[in-house]
Formats: sequence, structure tokens, C-alpha cells
Amino acid sequence: MTAFLSNIRFRDAGTLLGLVLIGVVFASLSPTFLTAPNLINILQQSSINACIALGMTLVIISGGIDLSVGPVAALSAVLGAAMLVAGVPVPLAMLGALAVGVACGFVNGALITWGGLQPFIVTLGGLSLYRALALIFTGGTPIFGLPDGFRALTNGNLAGIPNPVIAVAVLAALAWVILNKTPLGEYFMAVGGNPEAARIAGVPVTLTKLAAYMISGLMAAVAALILIGRLGAAEPTLGTLWELDAIAAAAIGGASLMGGRGSIPGTLIGCIILGTLRNGLTLMNVQAFYQLLATGIIIIVAMLIDKVTSGKQG
Amino acid sequence: MTARLTLRAITKSFGPLQVLHGVDLTVQPGEIHGLLGENGAGKSTLLNILSGVFRPNAGQIEIDGKPVQIAAPRDAQACGIAMIHQELQQVPELSVAQNIYLGAALRRTGGLLVDRRAQEAEARRLLAPLDPAIDVTAPVRTLRVAQRQIVEIAKALRANAKIIAMDEPTSSLTPAEFERLVGVIRTLAAQGVSVIYVSHKMDEVFRLCSAATILRDGRLIACVPIPQTPVGEVIERMVGRALMAVAHHGFATGRVVLQVAGLSRGTAVREATFTLHAGEVLGIAGLVGSGRTELLRLLAGVDRADAGQITVDGTPAPVMDPRARIRAGLGLVPEERKRDGIIRHRPVTSNVGLPAMRAFSRAGFIRAAALRARTEALMRDVNLRPFDVTRAIGSFSGGNQQKAIIGRWLAAGTRIFLFDEPTRGIDVGAKSEIYDLIERLARDGCAVIVVSSEMPEVIRVSDRVLVMCEGRISATLGPDQISEAAIAAHAIPRQGQTQGQPA
Repeated sequence: MTAFLSNIRFRDAGTLLGLVLIGVVFASLSPTFLTAPNLINILQQSSINACIALGMTLVIISGGIDLSVGPVAALSAVLGAAMLVAGVPVPLAMLGALAVGVACGFVNGALITWGGLQPFIVTLGGLSLYRALALIFTGGTPIFGLPDGFRALTNGNLAGIPNPVIAVAVLAALAWVILNKTPLGEYFMAVGGNPEAARIAGVPVTLTKLAAYMISGLMAAVAALILIGRLGAAEPTLGTLWELDAIAAAAIGGASLMGGRGSIPGTLIGCIILGTLRNGLTLMNVQAFYQLLATGIIIIVAMLIDKVTSGKQG
Repeated sequence: MTARLTLRAITKSFGPLQVLHGVDLTVQPGEIHGLLGENGAGKSTLLNILSGVFRPNAGQIEIDGKPVQIAAPRDAQACGIAMIHQELQQVPELSVAQNIYLGAALRRTGGLLVDRRAQEAEARRLLAPLDPAIDVTAPVRTLRVAQRQIVEIAKALRANAKIIAMDEPTSSLTPAEFERLVGVIRTLAAQGVSVIYVSHKMDEVFRLCSAATILRDGRLIACVPIPQTPVGEVIERMVGRALMAVAHHGFATGRVVLQVAGLSRGTAVREATFTLHAGEVLGIAGLVGSGRTELLRLLAGVDRADAGQITVDGTPAPVMDPRARIRAGLGLVPEERKRDGIIRHRPVTSNVGLPAMRAFSRAGFIRAAALRARTEALMRDVNLRPFDVTRAIGSFSGGNQQKAIIGRWLAAGTRIFLFDEPTRGIDVGAKSEIYDLIERLARDGCAVIVVSSEMPEVIRVSDRVLVMCEGRISATLGPDQISEAAIAAHAIPRQGQTQGQPA
């Protein structure tokens, strides 16, 4: 096998090993952990973070960061819900919600590329801005009464696998294909790895960055639809701290915050690690405070292992 | 008299590459000692060992007759050694006085607060004999390069330096600024400070130095008295052969592929006008800062021109954007490979295919097999070592990275190659491979521009040479006019001529 591919796979195998270790620990401590319903439950609980983290991974690989994903999701959710409640046909309302996410991503990307601002600052501003728009639009109150036809989409399942899990699997496959099989994927990695060299080599740097933020906005909107379908209501405050979970998952999965490196399978496993941790600790009746502690430790340990092993490879 | 500094049999290798083979250097108190050699001769490595940046694999260092260990920059400072780097190491936003006292601030109130006033008074005292016009409270970024150098020297004096090493201090100075620097260096020497003066400019060395150590390919060639040794002999020992015109087989045709008219950008490039023919290798010579790199960047569309036209194959190329210029058939092989050339973590295939990713795709998907086959064919052709196109490009040597960048433009169908310092940071063996590649490009009918600071390089590869001086093309030398003397005559600004803006 080729050296480069095996390097990437080596990293993903490490993340997977981490997941297996955590699973073994919980399986030995809790009899209910290793049951089919619980495992499906973990996947379902991880699906929203996975959605966000897929978009985040592409943004991070292209050398940026998107802190505004939670509020973008909230804005997509309340506008989509308003359309659904107003009687707009379900597919149209869903497209509308997705368009809101893409538009927010476009604004972020435009400010970063044409505006020349730093991604951290732009999306930090977006974090407040989109949240404010969602709150202003709803007056701060949730939107109830989403039609059953819409809710059935997110609450249904296929052969026992919940629809959101299937949707995320399909989206992850798409993201993997984009990253590894298309020019856009090469451009993401080139722009994140060395923006000036990429520009001189003829990479459309501006369009590449725009695409990353628009995909991130789109994925935030998908996550929003999954959540409001499950809850049956759209809260303007939904999605708080989603950005941090997504960044954590991407980093555990091997994405470098310096840009240029990251992996879709790695990010997915990272999401499942975080989901498993929460699920397992809840099963064992561990207090929420300690769950937070465990999450923090996992993130830092993962990064330390990454540092040590990648150092060895030179 | 005990020598101020003695280096004995200094040896240094980086991995398998040995860059210094038992080099000696002796400098007396108050002596201005030249350190001469071509790029890659080992001058910078020797200075880095002296200043504690690198540790030698073997050899001794003595100061005033006593052996010393220099394991870190701090040790060098304690021994009274100071370096004036080409890239000045200053904090641009801090004042002159703060920079002079960087890391050694004068304190008051029991060491809690920085005594600014005392620092400024002391800085003024240090600068008075060097350049009293420098305002010690001004941020360093507002100073001209020459003044910043003086500040660096004042900082060395503040640290009681007995030995000051200057790495090509005049590369971005005007003649008037050089005269001032000569005065400063002589003042230092008169005070007993030893100066190691690194340069490859003979006129400067012969004005300043009383002796010179000559390095070539990491070896000590000679230590000669100056000015008793004839210039020709010094140069001959430096380059390792008598200077003579290298027979050059030109492939230039009469077909014009590139026409540049009045191309300008600020004061960096002023009204550049020239033509380039198919099969021609056009060298661009000049001092550092004469606008050569800037001109290449304008041609490649990396920077925007203020004025002027570029015509490729008779068609105007008005869009100032690398993508548009690549489509027009131009490709830049940049000087700073790590910064502007390679995507370090990506494999050779990705780096080679980057400008032509769409051509390697069908229905939106990259044809990985086709990309790999094409990359392997190109890399076999340019002799990539080790031959593994799936390895990250960052793991290859400089010369092999350069071959991959050349392959990138071959894959993109480039017909006009723009090389900026094509052999900088490349070992001697790979150098001749790069020259051969340039010649092959010309033979295949491509047009090539080579910017280089190394005169032997320009002379070796070029059919014609443009000489640049202060942003202007000061001369065009035809095949029978190319010589070091002719290039030098047009590269150096004349006294009284209008000077460029401060850098």
C-alpha cells in the first residue's frame, strides 16, 4: 500500500482503536451498553453532531473554522418551521431551511474571502448575529405544531436503523467522495495546506473557501431539520455549543486546526467516541459534571497521542 | 598577539549531507575579515555555528585563546559574539531603544519596571557615533533597512560584542548607505571589535577587509591577505575555475511568444519592456531588490501591475490572476519553494496535478489512475529520487521538490516557464540536473525566464540576459555580450542617479 494512504489510514485506525477501547470499558461495566437498541441509540444521538462535524471537517481542512454553526442551525430551524407551520409543502419548506443554511455560509465565506477577515472573527460575529436573527424572528418563543408528515421523516426508520443515521451515513459518504475523489477536495487540502502556493498553482482559492463555508452552513441546516423533526418544535436557542462538539470530533478524528489535513472517517469515529462516552457514563449514572470532565480528558489525551505518534513518523 | 577568534576543523552535516568539511577561521582583534564563497559554500552554516544556532559535529572554537562551548545563542552572546543577519531580527512595532534593549531591559524600582528613559539615553549614546539621525523613540518599522542595520549594530555594542558577524549586509543598500556602513564598520574596528564580513561582492571586500577566508562546497580553500591578492585569483578560488564563457547551445527561434510593454508596479518594477522567443532562455540578473522577483510575479499574475501590457502568442493577457496566466501558458517556479511552491503534506501526484486537476477529471471526478500514470511518466523523465509519487512532497530534498514543481507545469501544458532562483537551496548534484532540464525545455520549444543572483548560473543557462537595476531594465545583453563584468556594470546603481524609495 502506498505510504501516504497508509499514513492516513494509520491515523484513522488509531481513532477506531480508541473507540473500541472505550467500548470495551463500558461493555465490562454496564450490561445494557452492548445491546443493539443502545448502540443504535448512540448512533442516533451522535447523528446531529456528526452532521455538523462533517461540514466543520471540510472547513478545518481548508484552513478555516466555523464557530457559527449552532446559530445557523437555529436560524434555519425557525425559518423552516415557520414555513412548515404556514402550510408550505414539506419538501419546499425543507429546501427553504437548507437554503437559509447555505446563505449564512455564503455570508461567512464572502466576509472571509472578499472581506479579507479572519475566519475565527467572522464566524464569532456570525455566532451572535444569526442567533440574534433567530431570536428576533421568533420573539424568543419556540415554534410548535410541525406537521406529522415532516416529523415522520426524522422519526421513521429503515430496517430498524433510524432515518437520521441513514441520512448522516449518506452525507458522510458524499463528503468522503468530495474530499478524496474530486478536484474540490484537492483544492480544500491545497488551500488549507498552503494558501499562497495553491494560488500560484492556479487553485481557485476564493471559490474553494466559499464552498467550504457554504457546505458547513448546509450541514448545519440538515442538523437543524433532524432536531426539529425529533422535537416537533423549533427553539431559537437550539444548537448552543454545537460548534465545540463538532470541532472536538474533527480534531479527535485527525483534522489539523492548522489546515490541510483531516479525514471524514476519522471525524465520524470522533463523533461516535463523544456519543459513546456520554451514553456510557449516563448508563452508569455518572453525574453530568463528570461527563464533562471525561469529555475534556478524552479530547486532550487524543491530541497528545496524535502529537507523540505523528512526531515519530517525522 | 592572541587571535580574537579561532575556529579549528569545524565539521557539520545535516543528515547525509555534509556541508562543512573541517573549516578553519582565524580573526584578530580589530580586524575586518572577509568570509567569501558562492551560495551554498557553507558561509551561513559557519555563522550559524558561531552564533549557537547549529552545533558542529566536530571542531573547536577559541576566543582570546580560551576554548569555549557554544551550544545555544545565549552562549554566543556570553562570549561576545553578535550576528547581523540578512533578515534583521527585530520587533517592528517596538521603538529603536526597546529593540536595542530587547531581552535585557534596564530596570528601576527594584527591577519591576522598565526604565524607558535610561534605555533611550543609552541608546542615543550608542547610536551617536554610528548614525545620530536615528530617533530612538521611533518604531523600528518606520526606519529604512540601512538604519535598521545600524540599530542592530548598536544592539551588538550594547551587549559588549567583541566579534560582530555581518551576513551580506549590503544586499539591499544604496551606494550612499553603503558608504555610511563602511564608516561604521571602520569605527567598530578602530575600537577593537572584530568584524566578520560575509559577501560575494569583490569591490566591498577589497575596500574593507585586510584578509579573507574563502570557502567552496563546504571546504576551506584559502585564507588570503587583502588587497595583496589579485581580485581574479580570489574569484577563481571562490568559484573553483577560471572564469570563461561557457559554450552555450542556444535553441532560440525567431517566434515571439511573450511581449511585455511598460509593465510597472510601484517603484519595484518600472516600465519593463522586452520580448521572449520560443526556445529561448532569458536570464534576468541584478542585485537583490532590483525588481527581478517582482517582475516574475507580475508576469505570473501573482501580483497586480499598475500599468503595462502582456501579450502571449499575439493575444493580450489582461487578467492579473494566476489562473488566467496559467491558461495563457505561463507557470511560475518560485524562489521560496516551501512558502510559494509546495503543499507539504500532499503527495507528489496532488502537487503535480494541482493546476490541471480539471483536465485530470471526468464528470467531476479525478481520474486517479490517469493522474498517477502521468505524474509517474513526468517524474521518471525528470529523475525524481526516491521514485515514489505517492509520498508527501515535503519529505523530498529541495532539488527533487523543484523537479516536481517543474513537472507540475509540464503537466499543465505550460509553454513559458518563469524560474526564480531555480537552484537556491539545492545541492550541487541536483543543480546540474535542473540546468539540464532548463535546456531541455528550451530544446522542446518552450520559452524560459531565469532570475538568478548567481552570475555563473545566469551566464551558463541564458541566451540573452536582462540586467535590472532599481526596478528598471538597465541593459539587454546579447549572446556575445554576456559576461560578469558587463552584468555587474549595469546592475550597480550609479552615484548621483535617483535612488529608489526606502524599502
